[in-house]
Amino acid sequence: MKRFIQHDELARDCRFIRQQNVLTTILASLPDDVDAVVEALDPLSPLIEESVRETAAQPLFDRFGPAFALLVLNEPIRAGADGVAERLKLRMHGIFVGELQALEGAGRSLWDFPEAPWEFKMNMARQCWDEARHVQIYEKLMTHVGVEAGDYPESTFLFECACSDDPAMRVAGVNRGLEGLACDVFRDLIRYAEDTGDEKMKQAVDYVLADEITHVRFGSEWVKEFTRGDPEHFERTQEFRREVDKQFSFGGSRSDREDAAVRIAWEDRLEAGFSEQELKELAEISVGGPSQHTMVTAAKILQQRFDARKAGEADEGRA
Amino acid sequence: MSSATPRMYPGASPDERTTFDAYSAFDVPADLRELSGRYDVESTARRVRNFRYAQEWMMMIGGGWMATIPELPVKTGLGKIVWDDAQSADEFGQRLPELRCGKRSVTASEAANDGFAALIQEVSAPESPDLTIEKVTGMFDVLKPHLLAVYDRMQRETDQIADAPTIEILDDVMRRTRKHIVWGDEVLERLCVTDEKRERRRRRLLSVRELLENCGGVTGEIADESHGSAERGEH
Ligand SMILES: [Fe+2]
Ligand SMILES: [Fe+2]
Repeated sequence: MKRFIQHDELARDCRFIRQQNVLTTILASLPDDVDAVVEALDPLSPLIEESVRETAAQPLFDRFGPAFALLVLNEPIRAGADGVAERLKLRMHGIFVGELQALEGAGRSLWDFPEAPWEFKMNMARQCWDEARHVQIYEKLMTHVGVEAGDYPESTFLFECACSDDPAMRVAGVNRGLEGLACDVFRDLIRYAEDTGDEKMKQAVDYVLADEITHVRFGSEWVKEFTRGDPEHFERTQEFRREVDKQFSFGGSRSDREDAAVRIAWEDRLEAGFSEQELKELAEISVGGPSQHTMVTAAKILQQRFDARKAGEADEGRA
Repeated sequence: MSSATPRMYPGASPDERTTFDAYSAFDVPADLRELSGRYDVESTARRVRNFRYAQEWMMMIGGGWMATIPELPVKTGLGKIVWDDAQSADEFGQRLPELRCGKRSVTASEAANDGFAALIQEVSAPESPDLTIEKVTGMFDVLKPHLLAVYDRMQRETDQIADAPTIEILDDVMRRTRKHIVWGDEVLERLCVTDEKRERRRRRLLSVRELLENCGGVTGEIADESHGSAERGEH
């Protein structure tokens, strides 16, 4: 078995539909400018349409056009809000595939770095079990909210961004970038479960969050260990984590902004070994990107263009 | 202490005699274990390093495979097995300093010979997503049953009192290994639903087993190991 695989080599059964990561990459790098958002997304319309074909996201595409991701995915999940059921399903499915990739990332850290210290291997092996349980937990929670594996397309963006070939950067990307994002998302989900009185979801996700804090702690400790005595390596690793954090902020969707879909879980991250300084940096890094107002305005324009194209196609069909 | 108080243990002077009759207070069953076992300290230490080598590599291979296996329950099942194998390797490692291998020996893994190292590489070789049968067969139909048989024999034949700490570790490792073998068999039963697939399992089993026998297994002494002990789980 070779070492260091690419994200597109992650093995899936036939239920899963792979989405090209370019979509997530573009969504993650949009500026706060209506025209720029429209011009970035409009040409991607065929690609987005293709990626959702025959998935549960297809009706959303048909209704909202290429902006459906902006309208559905990047919005907060609030009890009783319009479309929250659909948003929750998408979020759950996204978390589920994220857990799969975290499992694969931890497993590959065992295989890719055979010379790593034993304690590192023990931590990664433990993480494999934890992530495997998380996959199992989210399979159940998906059923709980009415969605199944493969209902939505999977982007392997998380694995692609986080899995560096350098061990210090691998743990910085996976255990601090990806697992840190998981802390933010799970704290948000616990809040939603509390608001809706969903005890089953609240308890399960609370356990998962406890595990994730442990995984971030592994990352915090191993970044220091792998770069000990090499400040330049440490700085490169921090820079890599900042890049990953920027990408995983999805244009401000995960940030401390008022209109963020998911807020930064400061308390949980502090417990996991992030410093105040690192969290302030994260807040700064993640704040950029389109505001909710920009997204809604852009989405409307995109939808109008999409509807006009559909009407044009229909006319051509009749002619 | 006043001299009127009866002493419960032999005193320092000849006139002091204990009133305690050894064992009279307890109905302790006789210890039927006997001293002397098949392995001395050095050979037990070597075997523990060999065992640790196998457990550590199985942990790493399982970790690598998770990304290349499409069947979801196999992926998640391996997650737990990887952790089990890590704990087994760790327990073996903790035993090494106790066997006079030095403080740093907790992470010492050692292949019995080049043949066993090559066997481990062969077990890890199947890579593409359509080779789950070959992956699971090599590790769960051949390697783990072999290890179980060797652990079992070691546990019965090492010095039951002097080497009891190794026996305790083997207890844990064997409990996990038995579960893994049952799991692997269930997975293969589910996967091998056609003659062609059953034939793939059989061919893989034979080829890996041949390598195992040629190198002498985990300790390099397979002929000796399997003497008198059932190679459990082998088909
Ligand atoms: Fe997780
Ligand atoms: Fe995690």
